[in-house]
Amino acid sequence: MTVVVAYADTPPGHAAVEAAVAESAREQEPLVLVPAVRGEVPPDVAELERRWPAAAGRLEVERADLGDPSDAVVQVAQRRDARLVVLGLRARTPVGKLVFGSTAQRILLDATCPVLAVKPAPA
Amino acid sequence: MTDAAFSALGSLADPSLLLMLAVGVLAGLVIGLIPGLGGTGAVAILLPVTFGMDPEPALAMLIGALAVVHTSDTVAAVLLGAPGSASASVTMLDGYSMARQGQAKRALSLAFLSSMAGGLIGAVGLTLAIPLARPLVLSFGSPELFMLTILGVSLAAVLSRGNVVKGLTAGFLGLLLGLVGTSPTTAEERFSFGSLFLSDGVSLVAVALGIFGLAEIASRVGQRDVAEKPVELTGGWGSGIREWLTHWAHVIRGSLIGIWAGVLPGVGATAGTWLAYGQAVATAKDKRTFGKGDPRGIVGPESANNSVEAGDLIPTFLFGIPGGVPSAMLLGMLLTYGIQPGPAIVTDHLDLMYLIVWSFAIASVAGAFLCFLATGSLAKLTRVPFAVLGPGLLVIMLLGAYQEGGQIGDLWVMVALGVVGFLLKATGMPRAPFLIGFVLAIPMERYYYLTASLYDGAGWMLRPGVLVFGAVLVVPVLWTLVKKLRRSVGADDGHRDEHEPDDAPVDELEGSMAGTGWSLGLALATVAVFAGALWASTSFSDEAQLMPQLVAVCGLVAGLVLTWQEVTIRRSRAEVAPDDDVHSTAYDVGAPASSGSTLLATRPVATEPDARLAARRRDLVIAARTFAAMAGFLVLVMLGGYLAATLVFTPAFLLYAARARTRTAVIYTLVLGGVLLVLPSLLPVDLPMGILQ
Repeated sequence: MTVVVAYADTPPGHAAVEAAVAESAREQEPLVLVPAVRGEVPPDVAELERRWPAAAGRLEVERADLGDPSDAVVQVAQRRDARLVVLGLRARTPVGKLVFGSTAQRILLDATCPVLAVKPAPA
Repeated sequence: MTDAAFSALGSLADPSLLLMLAVGVLAGLVIGLIPGLGGTGAVAILLPVTFGMDPEPALAMLIGALAVVHTSDTVAAVLLGAPGSASASVTMLDGYSMARQGQAKRALSLAFLSSMAGGLIGAVGLTLAIPLARPLVLSFGSPELFMLTILGVSLAAVLSRGNVVKGLTAGFLGLLLGLVGTSPTTAEERFSFGSLFLSDGVSLVAVALGIFGLAEIASRVGQRDVAEKPVELTGGWGSGIREWLTHWAHVIRGSLIGIWAGVLPGVGATAGTWLAYGQAVATAKDKRTFGKGDPRGIVGPESANNSVEAGDLIPTFLFGIPGGVPSAMLLGMLLTYGIQPGPAIVTDHLDLMYLIVWSFAIASVAGAFLCFLATGSLAKLTRVPFAVLGPGLLVIMLLGAYQEGGQIGDLWVMVALGVVGFLLKATGMPRAPFLIGFVLAIPMERYYYLTASLYDGAGWMLRPGVLVFGAVLVVPVLWTLVKKLRRSVGADDGHRDEHEPDDAPVDELEGSMAGTGWSLGLALATVAVFAGALWASTSFSDEAQLMPQLVAVCGLVAGLVLTWQEVTIRRSRAEVAPDDDVHSTAYDVGAPASSGSTLLATRPVATEPDARLAARRRDLVIAARTFAAMAGFLVLVMLGGYLAATLVFTPAFLLYAARARTRTAVIYTLVLGGVLLVLPSLLPVDLPMGILQ
């Protein structure tokens, strides 16, 4: 089974990859990263494998056919029959939660498989 | 009101009206196939034909074309993967995939039926809007109408693609152009530089065809031949029809979204179609097949892009705020007939409104039906490379623009605006606010002076209607500020934005030169234009001076902000990639493709390889050559008259620029020449005469 990560080049995004690496370590499952930030350059696999050598050989980056990041993550998860989606959250102030939308929230609500939400380690 | 409705239907039984409707539908279907034209091109090309007609047949034809333009543009998208318009590119996502899996007919039948339903539901929406809006509209006085014109331009600027500053600058430029001519209150000549020709104002058709039509020709004429083989038209029609019925929820949802998108000024078919697609994806539990041939990716968007055109008509006719560019032109046309939008239409010309509704509905059904019948031939038509269509389109467009005033100067204005339109398109400045500003300029001034003379002092500003519209004015500005704030704060944007992935632009030219020297130059040029206008307007009398000065001052501010944005972009790009001198970015750095914002929250978007920049340069050269050819054509026209000029220009263009075969060139020229010979006897069309004739 596959583990899908909603990836961003930010601390929450990296935390998600770490958690996913740990999750998939036991069964050595393929790890599929889906860029979840509009406009960001998709990560380079070689560079990712350098950062997380534990996942070497199992990492892929896949972009979906959909423009909206949350839809893209869910689409990839469904297509790859993922057993888990991992995403990174960051702390928001109460106002922040109110005013700003959330890709993470939509993934949580739309995904058809379990979702693991992690936070980056406190600085 | 029901009698108005049925009397309008009865009037359609008149064969001449039906004939006009049929002509409109056919023209709309053909124009929908040609890339880059869309509803705007359809109305702009057909508008000159309506000069001298009564409003009823004119509207029947124009609405007939507008209703079906989005039905036929699907054909190229589905069969060739080459969408002719931005809204068709949404259908292409799933339609082309489906076609490649051998189910082209299924995709097309889903699309045609959805288009038809979208048109019908849009017509229903329009019908319902009339009695709903009527009491509101009847309460409007000139202060409210004045606020509505301001609202029209500003909403179009704020809601259109690209950033707000660019939209506003375009809007002010359009307003300024609209003020050229005779002042409505003092009958002074403004900005005419002593030319008798300009003192009559600039012609709407020349502006629309120049900014949109000629700019599109210039940008697409360099396209290489369509290399793709069209997908085989296989599969059965019947299964597509039955399947369509199961997606009725998507049809209705898509149509409603489309109507809503149409009602918002400046939000056109493209945005509405993407919204519908996004909603279809969001509400789907199983998202796997989207992008790979999911019928839900066709049904909703196709309904939306037809109903948008109906939705566009609601604010246009009821409030006088153009919902989109084609309806802005319809508005301009009605104004020349002396039919004021808003209260006048709802009381005196209700039958016209219902004629529009019926025409839209009938055209939608007829269009879909014709598309089913003629898919094969339509598919063949889409294979014709644009360079071959170019000269024919050019000849027709120029001829059309000539009809309004019979002045060759209009044609030169058109070509000049074509260059402007090309530059606007290339630097990512939206052109819709420009046209809307142009159409609304004189009405705005008229309503203002009417208000000022009817209401003493500033008491009118406290009227509830005015205050409400003022609030409406402010809200979208706040909304875009919030959106900008969201993007800047960081990675988790969260705002559902359905637009396609950035690496699949439909039209390579659009926005491709944003953030380069060209856009900076354009920004500086706009500042110069507004400064010049400000200076020139000091010589007008006080009353005639007010509007131009206001527009020039606001435009100057907008232009300066734009220049500052451009400078900041260039500086930040230089910082981000100082050692990257092999690559150069021709896209905005950091922000989503169409925004000229200076906020850099994420890493830069992929830097452009050299090849792409070279392609941009190539496009520029081709465009420059095309415009030079157009100018050359006009010189020929001035010398030898239209027919002779066409006979010389067309083969030259086809042989050198389009690299067509000699046989094609000869036949094409002969046909075109024949059409021009015959046309004056069929339609009230004048051909420009040359000096030597």
